[in-house]
Amino acid sequence: MQNDQENALRNRIAKMMADGLQTQTEPFPETDREFGQLLAELRDLPAEDLKARLVVSGFVDKPYGPDQMRCQECMYYLVHRKWCDLPELAVPVEPDWWCRLWRI
Amino acid sequence: MANLLWLQGGACSGNTMSFLNAEEPSACDLVTDFGINVLWHPSLGVELGDNVKKILLDCISGKIALDIFVFEGTVVTAPNGTGEWNRFAGRAMQDWVRELSKAATYVVAVGDCATWGGIPATAPNPSESRGMQFLKREKGGFLGDGFKSKSGLPVVNIPGCPAHPDWITQIVVAIATGRGADIAVDEFHRPKTFFQSFTQTGCTRNMHFAYKVSATEFGQRKGCLFYDLGCRGPMTHSPCNRILWNRQSSKTRAGMPCLGCTEPEFPFFDLAPGTVFKTQTVMGVPKDLPLGVDKKGYIALTGAAKNAAPAWAEQDLFVV
Ligand code: SF4
Ligand code: SF4
Ligand code: SF4
Repeated sequence: MQNDQENALRNRIAKMMADGLQTQTEPFPETDREFGQLLAELRDLPAEDLKARLVVSGFVDKPYGPDQMRCQECMYYLVHRKWCDLPELAVPVEPDWWCRLWRI
Repeated sequence: MANLLWLQGGACSGNTMSFLNAEEPSACDLVTDFGINVLWHPSLGVELGDNVKKILLDCISGKIALDIFVFEGTVVTAPNGTGEWNRFAGRAMQDWVRELSKAATYVVAVGDCATWGGIPATAPNPSESRGMQFLKREKGGFLGDGFKSKSGLPVVNIPGCPAHPDWITQIVVAIATGRGADIAVDEFHRPKTFFQSFTQTGCTRNMHFAYKVSATEFGQRKGCLFYDLGCRGPMTHSPCNRILWNRQSSKTRAGMPCLGCTEPEFPFFDLAPGTVFKTQTVMGVPKDLPLGVDKKGYIALTGAAKNAAPAWAEQDLFVV
């Protein structure tokens, strides 16, 4: 049941990005302080506003930057659940996606 | 029998509290079973006023053999090197420390304040506090780089905020039972037997560390505290997960990150806001990596570990 819901949500997010959702991939938070500010911004958003959360966190549906960063190597990515475990996001993801809260 | 004298400088008494909590052996066992004669201690000493002063002077003159001099707290040297801000028994504590250290066979610094300066020596350090032989990572400290007690050992540093009771009692017992020569110390004068391994050694979250599964909040029953919560277990020399606290647990077992209190630069980042319980990162990569691991190796390791992570690593594992 949980899986079905998560799959449906994952597909919805994938479709939003495939349809050209413009998100804020820059600036990448260089320091822990900037990272914290981004988290605070996310916390201030209404929980149900998925689109706004994707925009602020800079979601893209492919690896990013010269280092080809992606969810797969990110600290918050749960491999088996294909889930972003960062409490401020907590959404299903694909291993090849990325967002600017990436952290290794 | 070994005579022990314990004094306190700029301190919160935390190490005394820790010492009084010792269980095997207890502070009483030290006296009854190991022949330690406590000449004076701020919480246990019965003498007051001039009688304390007399004990100290007799130790300095050699009338009383001072086998073990234990110092807790910083050496307060303010104002202007006089040490007058911390007076004891009629004079600056720093003068007692200098003379008693010269007279003692072994000098033992207990807790971070006495070893490296600890919290009192954190910037801006108004009390001009110093550790006995170090100030943070810098050699020298109050007694100077070359100081050696009569035993030939430098000040034996037992750091920690506070030091675990067993670290204190075992060193004291080793000295009292004639095994002082067996104490091997590292470059920061810490007994190797305790401080060669890491806090991470024996941590129940090691598998989560290996598979890069993070705890994101205190007390979570899964995940490693390194990635988000600033755990310093992989770069802190301490046996906290081998010699458990209260014989039961440790910070990391309870879901609280190690703060690295046995390392000379504790408290880290001079306690600047946002640096405690937070892993500092540069472009998403931790600033402080496990000791001996470089950035390239860390990234490669993460990729491999994530790929290999078993499903159970993502579930709550601990029931208590
Ligand atoms: S924080 Fe971003 S990069 Fe990391 S798993 Fe979540 S969505 Fe992916
Ligand atoms: S919680 Fe800390 S000590 Fe334990 S495995 Fe993680 S980093 Fe190491
Ligand atoms: S776990 Fe870390 S902070 Fe806690 S006592 Fe041990 S070394 Fe110090």
